[in-house]
Amino acid sequence: MNALLARFGRKSKQTKNDESYYTAGQMALIKARFKRKTSGVVAAWILGTMVLMGFFAPFFSPVDPTIRGADTEYRRGAPQMIYFWDENGFSLRPFSYTYKKVNAKIDLRALAGGGLDALDAFTSSGALSSSSQNKFEVDKTNRRYVQFFVKGWEYSLIDLSVGSLDLDFRSDRHLFGVEQGQIHLMGTDEDGKDVFSRTLHAVWVTISIAIVALIVKLFVSLFVGGVSGYFGGRVDTIMMSITEAVRVIPPIPIYLACAVALAQIDLTPVQRYFAIAVVIGALDFATLGRRLRTHILTERNQDYVLAARLCGSSTRRIIWRHLIPSFTSYIIVDTLINFPYVILAETSLSFLGLGLTEPVNSLGVLLQKAQDPDIQQNMVWQFFPVLVFVFLIMAFVFVGDALRDAADPYSEKK
Amino acid sequence: MITQFLSDTWLLWLLLSVGGLLWWGGLDSQYVNYVFNRYLLALATLLLVSGIVFSLMEVLPGDCAEKYIAYKNTQGETITEADIQAERVRMGLDKSLPERWGRWVTNLTLRGDLGFSCAKRQSVNLALGNRFWMSFMFCIAGLVFAYLIAVPFGILSAFTINKPWTDKNPQHSKLEQLAGTAVLSLQKVVDLLLRIISYLGLALPNFLLALTIILLYVFAGEPMPTGLFSDQWVNVPWFGPDGFETGKFYDFLGHIWLPIFVIGWSATALQLQTVRALVVDESNKLYVDAARARGVDGLTLWAGYPVRHSISPLFNSIGFDFQRVFNDLPIVAVVIGLTDSAALLIEALSMTNDQELAAAILFLVALVVISMNFMTDVVLAAIDPRVRKSVLGN
Repeated sequence: MNALLARFGRKSKQTKNDESYYTAGQMALIKARFKRKTSGVVAAWILGTMVLMGFFAPFFSPVDPTIRGADTEYRRGAPQMIYFWDENGFSLRPFSYTYKKVNAKIDLRALAGGGLDALDAFTSSGALSSSSQNKFEVDKTNRRYVQFFVKGWEYSLIDLSVGSLDLDFRSDRHLFGVEQGQIHLMGTDEDGKDVFSRTLHAVWVTISIAIVALIVKLFVSLFVGGVSGYFGGRVDTIMMSITEAVRVIPPIPIYLACAVALAQIDLTPVQRYFAIAVVIGALDFATLGRRLRTHILTERNQDYVLAARLCGSSTRRIIWRHLIPSFTSYIIVDTLINFPYVILAETSLSFLGLGLTEPVNSLGVLLQKAQDPDIQQNMVWQFFPVLVFVFLIMAFVFVGDALRDAADPYSEKK
Repeated sequence: MITQFLSDTWLLWLLLSVGGLLWWGGLDSQYVNYVFNRYLLALATLLLVSGIVFSLMEVLPGDCAEKYIAYKNTQGETITEADIQAERVRMGLDKSLPERWGRWVTNLTLRGDLGFSCAKRQSVNLALGNRFWMSFMFCIAGLVFAYLIAVPFGILSAFTINKPWTDKNPQHSKLEQLAGTAVLSLQKVVDLLLRIISYLGLALPNFLLALTIILLYVFAGEPMPTGLFSDQWVNVPWFGPDGFETGKFYDFLGHIWLPIFVIGWSATALQLQTVRALVVDESNKLYVDAARARGVDGLTLWAGYPVRHSISPLFNSIGFDFQRVFNDLPIVAVVIGLTDSAALLIEALSMTNDQELAAAILFLVALVVISMNFMTDVVLAAIDPRVRKSVLGN
């Protein structure tokens, strides 16, 4: 393997005829070509970190992002900075301060005596506006030291329990936290829920929707492409005209119609979440199905298919064991490239308020807040999920792009 | 009587006569035969689309009779269950799905009648008015914007792919090498910038872009360019007492760029990458080497061979580009506050559950996409020698 990597490295060109290069499998070649592309590798590391942080979100988040963990003392609060030193001296252990809510002073006596003019002056002074509601006083003498691996609320790390088998690994350790109160790296929302923790949880919810959708899509397009390509003729014509018809209609209105239909049925948030993923996946089969069909149409006349048929293999076996594996690398790459688009579909739906809805932490739900003028003007930190979202999609696009180049066997020439 | 019938069913006769002409011409021309086949295929796809759209609308909750009754209720009439049933029978909603679909399609093909919008209580043709044309123009303008940016810059970006950052050609003098290095680096930097922009275009969904622009306006304290006109021009007619209102036109231009830019943005990013990949693919082909060996060089070589051949797949995908752009339009319309058919579609789907209106808009979009695909197929087969060879045999 080292020799193989050296072959693709920038320096050594003389090992071109190395045996490992010619005997390497498709996957090893793709891996080696992928490693040459720096932007792809960097993006892959960023992506991996984000996905891991999303998957173990409860461990990485300092605060429970549900209404249960909401900080009622720190609603609509700005991000809390982390310091190493201040005018009181240096500390090796990072700390933040204690924040106390400043209640807007309302001079009721003046109101009582002043009549309508005083009331007018009071309402126009902005004392009731939302920006004056989230003023907090920093208590600099009262440091809150950041501690690592603190005990917090209990969560399930990985839940593998199937049926009666109880394999639910639970834990109550969190990466960091403060000894008293809570720490809000990215501020809080209207209910006092921690924006940072919500975003971490949302990343995984969004990615898992995309995974479910892509699995459904994979099966539908494998079925359509496999059957249509293998049988050809009239079956092919009928299936391809249906695919063409589905491809012609813009998908988001269809998702919308399905989401509205789903709203009639009484579903729990989790069921709704899976239903949306299945709808997005099931309607997105056209492109991959067509490619697969074209590939199989050319492959099915190869000698090895004839040999398999003469050996008495069933049609299903030929499609699954011989034809589709010859296309695996393309399928994998296509799936990865499609990740951002599926995520975009989900966020668009949630943005319109028809996908997932508020108590669920999904990126679409969090992005929806960006539309609120109050948040645009007074709680800019709630745009943090937007940044994370753009980063996530960018990372996916970069990795997908590098993978596409790596999977193309003719890219060596360039 | 007969003339009445003929004028009612003009659409059907038009379709049939075009088909007949193509069939007749196809008897002795392979090309027209191919066009005839594409025509039949387009019609079949259209029929399928109408079926899919129609059955999709069935999943929307509520039906027309209920909405009509609810409307009557607000007028102060008391309504019983029997009235609803009677209304259903009158509207033909008690019939089976295929029957109603058949009626919808025949109404459409015979009279160009798109149905009756239940929530708006008027015919869909009237409710849509020229709003569909508005969306159509938005999409086309967005596409033109995307192509105008993507094609030249994509080609420029593709030029740089095999080139190093520095010019180390020993045949060049030191000064020439320095100048060459500067030019090459500039090209590479432009390429890098373009790639970053196109990745951003893919990563930033349209509605976020629109929101960002609006936010910038909020921070700058300027009036937002949402909608199509400022308040002072909304109710002013285009042709006032003293001729054409240029003020309204300028106001219109000041607002129209936002939707077009926002819609065109992600299309541009996608096209930029497509053009780049296509040109790179083509530039490695043998015929380019052959042309180079014959002494064709520089811009003539690029324009005559790889670029020319990479444009035709792009041209071929115009229909689906249109579909993709229209797909984004509803959300953009919500954010920017447009009043075109995309906004109507969102309203019909998510608020009023107006099945017939939504079905009509979706069908019209599909119609545009299918006819665009048909036309590009026909044109491409006529002008591109490779396509001609593959579809016509010789």
